Order: sequence, then structure tokens, then C-alpha cells
Amino acid sequence: MTTPEIASIEAVRKRRNYSFLFALTLLGLLVLLWAILAFATPNFLTQRNIPNLMRQGSMIAILALGQTFVIITAGIDLSVGAIAGFCTVVIALLIQAGIPVWLAILLTLLVGLGIGIFHAFGITKMGLPPFIITLATLTSLRGIGLLMTNGATINITNKDFTGFATLDFLGIPSLFWMVIVVAIPSHIFLQHTRWGRYIFAVGSNPESARLSGVRVRLIIYLAYSLSAVFAAFVGVLLAARIGIGNATQADGWELQAIASTVIGGTSLFGAVGSVQGPLIGAFILATINNGANLLNVNSFWQRIITGGLIILIVFFDQLRRRNR
Amino acid sequence: MTVPTDARAPGAGPILELRNLAKNYGPVLALKPASLAFNYDEIHAIVGENGAGKSTLIKLLTGVIRRSSGEIYWNGNLVALDTPQEAIDHGINAVHQEVVLCRHLTVAANIFLGDETVRFGLLQKREMTREAQRVLDGMGFDIPAGAPLGDLTIGQQQLVATARASLRGTKFLIFDEPTAYLTRQEAAQLFALIRRLREQGVTIVYISHRLEEVFELADRVTVLRDGNLVGTRNIGDTTETELVSMMINRSIEQIYHKETVPFGEVLLETRDLSGRGFEDISITVRRGEIVGLYGLIGAGRSEFAMSVFGRNPKTAGQILWKGQPVDIRNERQAIALGIAMAPESRRDQGLNLNMSIGFNLNLPIYDRLTHGFLLSGREEAERADRQIADLAIKTPSRRTLASSMSGGNQQKVVIGKWLNHGADLFIFDEPTVGVDVGTKAEIYRLLAELLKKGAGIIMISSYLPEVYELADTLHVFRSRRLVGSNGFHQVSHEDVLAEAIGV
Repeated sequence: MTTPEIASIEAVRKRRNYSFLFALTLLGLLVLLWAILAFATPNFLTQRNIPNLMRQGSMIAILALGQTFVIITAGIDLSVGAIAGFCTVVIALLIQAGIPVWLAILLTLLVGLGIGIFHAFGITKMGLPPFIITLATLTSLRGIGLLMTNGATINITNKDFTGFATLDFLGIPSLFWMVIVVAIPSHIFLQHTRWGRYIFAVGSNPESARLSGVRVRLIIYLAYSLSAVFAAFVGVLLAARIGIGNATQADGWELQAIASTVIGGTSLFGAVGSVQGPLIGAFILATINNGANLLNVNSFWQRIITGGLIILIVFFDQLRRRNR
Repeated sequence: MTVPTDARAPGAGPILELRNLAKNYGPVLALKPASLAFNYDEIHAIVGENGAGKSTLIKLLTGVIRRSSGEIYWNGNLVALDTPQEAIDHGINAVHQEVVLCRHLTVAANIFLGDETVRFGLLQKREMTREAQRVLDGMGFDIPAGAPLGDLTIGQQQLVATARASLRGTKFLIFDEPTAYLTRQEAAQLFALIRRLREQGVTIVYISHRLEEVFELADRVTVLRDGNLVGTRNIGDTTETELVSMMINRSIEQIYHKETVPFGEVLLETRDLSGRGFEDISITVRRGEIVGLYGLIGAGRSEFAMSVFGRNPKTAGQILWKGQPVDIRNERQAIALGIAMAPESRRDQGLNLNMSIGFNLNLPIYDRLTHGFLLSGREEAERADRQIADLAIKTPSRRTLASSMSGGNQQKVVIGKWLNHGADLFIFDEPTVGVDVGTKAEIYRLLAELLKKGAGIIMISSYLPEVYELADTLHVFRSRRLVGSNGFHQVSHEDVLAEAIGV
């Protein structure tokens, strides 16, 4: 009995070191990218560029956070980009109709909640795979948004609303503050409440969770609602940033969000994930895009680099899992 | 143990011979060193209770798992049998209890899967269908070769699997409980095929619970018990009584710790309860009582228990809880009443394997560890550590993943999470499968502790000695029904086994 015990003590120590090291490695990678870019181009570490990079990364980061809840349940939400785009239309129309900004934001978030509930309904009641139901809303939401505006773009004339995106607070862009405002409660929720535990339980073994008294369906509703509400919130921020409502905005962001989540160490098989990982992942992706722009790298290359990075990081993650 | 020489076919050496073949999983011996020879063109039956080591033996012979020690000789030559492909290359094939074929493909496509007839790079579907039909007709099976496999009954699918396995140069064919899903007529067709294969020189290994089939079909029979090869008999030289007594361990081991506690109030009563997989089950469980449910796998015990726990809705009958009629529609209602369930499959139902031990132990009580909105991390750690200490779970830390523990320790976690939660009625489904003897004894002592605290217990087991020695009332299930209910040691081992098997 002694040998296996010793072996597993070592395994535990390795594993705990590993998850700490993984976060540190990601952060190190981010710092390294920044250092390289700071040397490679004079335009990187500037008062103009850094806040710009933070704004770019912030919205993907919030999408990735919402996505993380869903992926930990071993699901996927392909619709987050479409929800964000659709919600730029919703909030633009609401503000155009003269509804107070705070109420318009609240109503937009409720629209997001409705979409999330619909996803969970499709999964738990209709038995649709998450991939399918969210793929369906991905295409139809953009269609609905375009129908609502007849394909036109709606300008948002409310200066208070659009001004928010360019605000700074303590030298940090307001959009980045929004990441913090979302991330801290998310972290507490995921790691320090029973609901967070149940999300992991459903992702690792729904049958065992159910037999232990966990309301599995409710947890599915919770995860998809969070993801969709976060996406709606990103829609609000995006509308403020670009000053328009247009359903074709945020095209392909769902893939960037999923990529950030995966780079951040979330397992697509469920039950493995954190809040900090996807955040760092999102800013790594934003840095690559930003740096490539500054270095005048063909934007087509950005896509290729992102793909390569996903393969590389997930491959290393798989390696350590196999070694375990 | 050596095979008596008079049992060998005259003039022929064995086709496959095992010398001191053994398999262990960590400290658990699944198969203790066994020596056995299979002759040319014989039908060799292997019998034993669940957990006796039959499936370990099949997996070793088909290269699914690697042996821990010992040697395997094929036609007198030492072979490794390390991979399934190597076994197939030698001509060793198996027909499993569960059909592992592609339901969407046609019967013909399944029969020729991996060995298709191809001309100019194109599949010759019509030719294959014709050939498959010829094969099936030749075997006496009335099965259309062009039909999708999924359209057939489970029994017919089993016959297709048999047809597939008996083609392509098979010299050694293993059947694992092949008649479990067959109708009487299909079984007769299968037996005819098996006899024909023997005439063609194929060695058949036939694994079954059903002794009557063994006597109908086999030339020789080998008995396994608790990973031991107990003995091999020529079928003409043995009787059902002898085989049954060989299958059961006579000596009552010291590990069974029976506590006699005066019975209290009736906790659970079912009246003619029926549902998917079980019919007309009436039992009662009192405080201080262990009610054993014995029967072969698939006899309806687990389905019945899952229905009481709200997982498998009843279709008829009544459940009374502490004298009051209740309608248990989901697990949460059952838990709220005071019922706990340690399910049959640790891997699929009992544990969140890739989560920590502490997580698993606390999963049912996270609501109680929550104050306001937040979980108390300190209480969480305390509760987990206390269970780990109380149950002597051997683990470096509560943070260790459940997947990295041995079966016995995993089982302790499955039970521990309900001790953590507390309940009046504990349902333990196969609590000692894959658990070493020492941990078994600990688990039995745990049951006694629960009884002393006034709980009632339903214990489901395919391992007769444990329910026989521990249950105050022993119900026997066969083919979804209750076929016998006996008090403690009221009838003999043999009678119980006979009730379950139906001899």
C-alpha cells in the first residue's frame, strides 16, 4: 500500500504546483509579449496604445468569462458574439426611443437573460445538444437584429452613453474597470458559493450530481443565463464604444471568447476552469492582434498565429494531463 | 491446479494453455495464479459468481488487459496476447454480452466491417449482402442481411455478432453470457451454431450463470470463485449441486460483522411496486434492519432501488414512508425524506471522478455549508477531513482527485458523502464490488454502526456470501420479480442461489 500512497502524494503536490504554474506561465507569456513588443515597436508602450489594447481585450474577456461557466458544465455557447451584436441594436433602439439609459441597459440585460433561458430550455427540455441550440441562435439572432432595423445602422446620439467608453478612471479605461466589476463577483460566485460547486459537479458527472441532490437542470439554466447576460452586457459596452447599433457587429467574437477560455486552461470536457485563466487568455489574444497591427503584420497572419497558439497551449495542457 | 490428463481429447495437445496466469490491479488480485488448458474442439464452460474473475479471464484471453504474471501458450508456443489485434490474429475472438456493433449500418456491413469486399476502390454492397445472407442462412438464422442492425431485436443482434465472430479464421471463440437477451428459440439456434463450430474444430469458451445451459452444451466446466480457479470437471462427472457448492465459499469468513439490533419503526414499505425493469415488488425495511436484495445483474434489484430513490419513476404500486403514502418523483424528494443512495457504479453514478475527495464528500451538504451567500471554506475542510479520518480513507489530502484512489477508498467516499449528510434509510448497491477484503470488512462494520444509530439499510449485492451473512431479511430477484424472501439463515446458500438462477 505504501508505494501507491507516496506516488499519489507526489501527484497531488505536482498538480497543485501545476495549476499555480499554469496561471503564472500564462501571465509570463503575456508579460513576455508586452516586453517583446515594447522593444520591437515604439508605438506599443504609449499612452494611446495601452488603453486601446485594454479596451479591445475587455469585451472579449467578459464574453470569455460567461463562456467559462458554460464550458465548465461541459457545454458550449456559440451565440455570445451574436448576442452582443444583437444587443447593440436593442440598446440603440431603446435609447433612440427616449428610454433612460439605466433602464435601457437593464432591459437589454433582460433580453440577454431571456436568450440564455431559451438556450437552457432547448438543452434540458427539448434535448438539443448545446452546440446545436446555440448555433441556431447564432444565426437567427443576427437575422432578427437585421430585420428590426431593416438592415440599417442605428446611430446612438446620447453623448453620455457613448462617452462612457472613452472615459478613464485612475488612469485605467472604463471598459477595463467593467472587466473587474464582472470578474470579482464571478470569481467569488464560482469558487466560494455552492452554486459554483454545483457548476463543477454538473460538468464532471451530471448523474452523480443528480443522485447527490443537485438540481442539474437549474444549474444548466444558471450557466447559460450567465453567459448570455454577460454577452448582452458586452453588447451594451460595444454600442457605447462604436456609437451605433448594428446586428452584424461582434462577428466571430464567440470563437475568440472560446479561444480565450481554452487558452486560459478551461477544459472543453468540463469541470476544469477558473476566472483568472480566461481573462489572461483574452488579453493574450488582444495583445497578439494589437502587436500584429503595430508591426504591420498582415491581418491574415493574426488569424494564423491565434490558431497556432491555441494548438500549442492546449497541446501542452494535454501533455501534463497524460503525464499525471 | 492442473487439468486431469484424462479430460484431454486423445492425441491432441491443448490449443491454449495458461500457466500461473494472474492479474492484479494495484493491491487487488482480480485473478490469482491460474493454470488451465483448453483443448481442440471442445466446449469449455466457465462459471462463477459476479466478481469471481470471469471477465478478467476473458479480457486477458482477448488481449484487452495485460497479464500481471504467468504465461500463455497458443498451440504450444509462448505468446504475449498484449493487444486485441494480436488475439484476433491468432484466431481468438469473443462475443460479448452487450452487442458492440454499429447500429446504423446494415447486418451485412457489420458482418464484413473491416474486411469489406472492394472492387476498383468501390464497396461491393450487393455482393456482400448476398454473401452475408448465405452465411446467415447457413447458420440457420432467420435474419435479413440488408436490414439496418438497429431494426433487429437485441437477441438477433447478438446472433449477428456471433456470425461475425465465427468468420475470418476464428479458432477460439469466447461467449460471455450470450443468452442473456435471447428468446428460447434464438438460444436454440445459437446452441446449434456453437455445436456446429465445435465440429469444425473451433474451441468454444462458454461463460454463463445458467447451469442448465452448461449441462446442455459443455464438455468440460471450470469454476472460479473470488479470483481463484477452484477446479475443472468433465461434464459427465459432476452435478449441479457440486458446481453450486464449488461456486460458493463455504467457510464463513471472519470479515462478516453482524450486529443484531432490535428492529424499530417501519421506515419503508413498498406495495406491488412496478416500474421499468421490475414488477410487483413488496418489501418493508425497519430501523435496525438490513434488507438484502440478491439476484443476478439485470434481475431488477437496482432498478427497484432507483425507483424508491426517485430516479426511475414507478408505473404502478405504492410507496409508504414511515407509514404515510408518498409519491417520490425525484432524487431530491427522496433525500429530503431521509433516503440516501450509494449507487451501483462508482464511476458513472457515485463519484465526480475528476473532482477532489473533499468535493465529493461535501456535494450533498453544500447547502448546509453556506452561510448567507458564501460557502465556509473552513467548515468545508473540517467536514471533509473528519470523514476522511472517521472512515480511514487512505489519501494524502482532501484535495486528491477521486479518480486517483483505489476502488475501496472510492467506495468509502461514496458512502462517506451520505454519512456526512445523514439519512434514515441507506441504500447500498453493490457496495463491495472491486473492493479488497480488508476494506470490505470495514464497510460491513460501517453498516453495523449505522444500524446501531437507528438507520435502516437496503443492501443490494450479486455476491451471495455478503448478503447471506449480513441481511436480516433476504429477498431474491429473478427476471424482474421477487422470487423468494427469507429470514436470516432461514434457508441454505444453495437454495438462495437456486432461487436466483432458477434451477
